[in-house]
Amino acid sequence: MKNVPSFILLAALAVLGVWLWFVLSPSPERIIRQRLAKLARTASFSSGEGNLARLAAAEDIAGYFATNVEVDINVPGRIQHTFTGRDEIQQAALGVRSTLSGLKVTFPDINITVAPDKQSAVADLTVEAVVAGERDSIVQEMKFTFRKTDDGWLISHVETVRTLSSTTLRFAQRRAPFIVYT
Amino acid sequence: MPAQNPVQPLNGRDRSPVPRWLRILVIGRNPKATLIRAAVWPVLLLLGYHFTLLRIHVEGISMLPTYQDGSKYFVNRIAYLWREPQRGDVISIRMAGIHEMYLKRIIGLPGETVAFVNGRVLINGEVLDEPYEKLPCDWNLPPEKLGPDQYFVVGDNRSMPSQDHYFGKMDRDRIVGKIIR
Repeated sequence: MKNVPSFILLAALAVLGVWLWFVLSPSPERIIRQRLAKLARTASFSSGEGNLARLAAAEDIAGYFATNVEVDINVPGRIQHTFTGRDEIQQAALGVRSTLSGLKVTFPDINITVAPDKQSAVADLTVEAVVAGERDSIVQEMKFTFRKTDDGWLISHVETVRTLSSTTLRFAQRRAPFIVYT
Repeated sequence: MPAQNPVQPLNGRDRSPVPRWLRILVIGRNPKATLIRAAVWPVLLLLGYHFTLLRIHVEGISMLPTYQDGSKYFVNRIAYLWREPQRGDVISIRMAGIHEMYLKRIIGLPGETVAFVNGRVLINGEVLDEPYEKLPCDWNLPPEKLGPDQYFVVGDNRSMPSQDHYFGKMDRDRIVGKIIR
């Protein structure tokens, strides 16, 4: 019984140590999840954004991508476009922020696979974008390839995923945590 | 020597104001076992529910008239643990995860060739009988051969233009479960 307080203290120290270890040396998967969450927050905006804030946000968004990034958007019958390089991403982000009155971007599902060498990773995710004033949201599965650089984990390639072979861009209303689109 | 029943009065007389039969009904003959059961059962039921059933909200019109927009159903997530998906099954198909899925009917099985000719589905060149399809359809789609692990899924409402309808080949590992009606 004498040793019980020491044992509790030791267990608490061990828990603290494990927690500190997780906080101070997060896994690549955790870092990428955090970056994606930040990217979603940065890509989202509401009305009344000033020009300077718009420009800063567009620069921030571009900062998540590698300088030679390639973004292939291929939704058969709807959109087919490729953005190359950070500048194009920045211009596109600026264009979206100037055109729309608001946007909310979320990634409801994210699956991350880190390469064995821990220098690259692939995030298969569902993107949901709700445009302010629109009844329906846009839902699309996408694949983001990340590369580890001196500036951290950057997105080097983005492509649309065709869940079903005929999949086109999905417009829907999000009304529940688990949705099936027919 | 038999174990003493905690509900039995020690001296043979029950002095509690609560009748013995009521105590047995509420807490059982062995309160300790009842307490353990009361703790374990909810956890087991919760785990069972979490891993087997998924409550879903249907969005869209492409499964009309079988499944209405806005309706709610359950998905049986263990339906295909012991058997393979069958033609005619209505399944939920995940995107990157299970928060956003598709709801479709399987019409083509692995290895088969699926085609649409004037709205009729042909499987390996033979017309498929589809009693669930109530609405008129005029789709045409060239034959598509399915891989060894692929299914062909489509909605029941084929009166809408095919370019507005999400259908086609999909891999087995995308199936989350079967809809319970």
